[in-house]
Amino acid sequence: MSSIEAVTVPKWGMTMTEGKITQWMVGEGGHVTRGQEILEIETTKVTNVVEAAATGTLRRIVLGEGTTAPVGALAGVIADAAATSEEIDAFIASYADRLGAGEEGEGGASAPRTIAVDGGVINVLEAGPESDETAVLLHGFGGDLSTWLFNQSALAENMRVVAVDLPGHGASSPIAGEDVFPKIVAAVDAAVEAVAPGRIHLVAHSFGGAVAAAIAAKRSSRVGSLTLIAPIGLSKQMSRDFLVDFVAVERRRPLLGVLERLFADPSKITSDMVEGTLRFKRLEGVPEALSAIADTIADDNGQLQSIAGQLRELTCPVTLLWGERDEIVPLPQAADLPENVRLRVIPAVGHMPQMEASSAVNEAVLENIQGTG
Amino acid sequence: MAQKSFRQALNEALHFEMGRDPRVIMMGEDLTGGAGANGVKDAWGGPFGVTRGLLDAFGPERIRDTPISEAAFIGAAAGAALTGLRPIAEIMFVDFAGVCLDQIMNQAAKFRYMFGGRAKTPLVVRATYGAGSRSGSQHTQALYPIFTHIPGLKVVIPSTPYDAKGLLLQAIRDDDPVIFLEHKMLYDTVGEVPDGAYTIPFGEARVARDGKDVLIVAIGRMVQVAEEAARKLAAEGISACIIDPRTTSPLDEDTLLEFTETIGRVVIVDEANPRCGVAADISALLADKCFDALKAPIKLVTAPHSPVPYAPNLEDAYIPSADAVVKAATSIIKR
Repeated sequence: MSSIEAVTVPKWGMTMTEGKITQWMVGEGGHVTRGQEILEIETTKVTNVVEAAATGTLRRIVLGEGTTAPVGALAGVIADAAATSEEIDAFIASYADRLGAGEEGEGGASAPRTIAVDGGVINVLEAGPESDETAVLLHGFGGDLSTWLFNQSALAENMRVVAVDLPGHGASSPIAGEDVFPKIVAAVDAAVEAVAPGRIHLVAHSFGGAVAAAIAAKRSSRVGSLTLIAPIGLSKQMSRDFLVDFVAVERRRPLLGVLERLFADPSKITSDMVEGTLRFKRLEGVPEALSAIADTIADDNGQLQSIAGQLRELTCPVTLLWGERDEIVPLPQAADLPENVRLRVIPAVGHMPQMEASSAVNEAVLENIQGTG
Repeated sequence: MAQKSFRQALNEALHFEMGRDPRVIMMGEDLTGGAGANGVKDAWGGPFGVTRGLLDAFGPERIRDTPISEAAFIGAAAGAALTGLRPIAEIMFVDFAGVCLDQIMNQAAKFRYMFGGRAKTPLVVRATYGAGSRSGSQHTQALYPIFTHIPGLKVVIPSTPYDAKGLLLQAIRDDDPVIFLEHKMLYDTVGEVPDGAYTIPFGEARVARDGKDVLIVAIGRMVQVAEEAARKLAAEGISACIIDPRTTSPLDEDTLLEFTETIGRVVIVDEANPRCGVAADISALLADKCFDALKAPIKLVTAPHSPVPYAPNLEDAYIPSADAVVKAATSIIKR
């Protein structure tokens, strides 16, 4: 039996309905390997690349460069040599029917919803098929669940994936005052309990890494894996200026300047991302909450959290992914890392590898979840 | 996040701020149902349903129905602002500003300046504007250029439900007189609006769409027209950036200049009449400050220099269309 795989227009974020094929990086007949970037797609919000879901030959380009097509549309076909032209034609013909059938197709994200917890609500966005195991995505300081724009749908092809807005971010209620860190952990833990009562795989970025480590320590029997992207808590080094400036800025241009420090390639930042960030920063109570969080992350002498002890106690696979050019939370010394932790450095990207190198991150997260890393 | 109409977004802002600050009061015609409603209070939530529920929540002392005399109640509101309240006065149609322009232009706008900075005038004048509702020449004008011209006034023209709520809260908290203009045809538009309170600073344009081939500057309802034009241009392979200034006074010159420098081709869409208008004003700014970056003439798509016609077909032809924007954009790209 020959294997035929579809290359489709992905769904990057809730509002994406269609995408424009701007470039095929592989020609018809070219060999592709799973995870290879093969296609660039532009939307009104973002431009990003699509990776091959399988290894084989790009047998057919269905959507040529310059074509605009809806999310889920068949852009190309990857197959091995055993597949005949007739089989591929039949596959393409059958695909047209499939597109119309599943409005909320696999991997597609639905609308977010809020979970009531002590002291407010936690906003979550669920995607993917019902599954016993759930991947839970926690963003970093100043982010929101749209941090996972290029990851959630890709990960949701195989399992249920829940992206969470941390308190004081996105559409989750702010928490400020005393003991802000344990309160945040408690709120997120309660929301995760509500949406993912079974086995969970935690994937977390930066400040979210400290929240994930605390939840993993508390729920170690239910945690299948932990993937931390440039987490805080593994060294003292930190750009405290980033935290202070992020809290202080109130307008688009200065905020863009602050966000640019996160990326090796600042052209990845869209106006939507900046406006989305301003939208939660403007909410009453949020600046105070962000300020309180910033104070738990670092002071003038460096980082205040430490997660090494929690990680050392875990028996599940723990992988760290780190951008080589991270200027916010610099790559720690290997000697400072617990022995049970595997570190993968992603070249040429900054503090946001999940956006700047989404294919590599998705691949590494799946490997860690499946224990094949 | 909750989807709400432009009207609901404004109503939420009014409810929130009146609850937060006892100095906020409202004045206007028919705010509470008015005469002719057979004694039924809050019969229709104000002329456009924006003030629904306020009378019940805050009572007739703070939600004041006025006689049909803009000169009287705008003057009273300006005086109340000067003496410590934070009034929101509603002019049903901005066209009626003609009978109270002295109160706005010579009084409210001048107090801070003429009293040596020792007076504050935290007054909001809300008014509907704009064509498309078959309301005739005296109820459909887009008069923001007149207010933008007057130093001492701030002029706010929201284009989305999200902006409507955040800009109205900012307007009420501002210590200067603010003219807050609501397009009648936007009241039923729906968008994401947070339940909580937030303010959007004045003089901060919104980048409504990223694009690299042509910059479309659009105000108020024209942002929708620009968005439709951008979709049509995208189908032709032209990528349009849209900037919504949000406030015409203060004007976010920095953002307009920054994007003009980068893109070099500009179309300005404005529903107001063209002479001495905001489109002409922005065009002059860009030509003065960005001349060397411009790759083509700046194109203005505005209403004609005519009153708004009452005949429906003529009224439709009067309003700048997406096709006119597409044509203007194409003309400066393919030259």
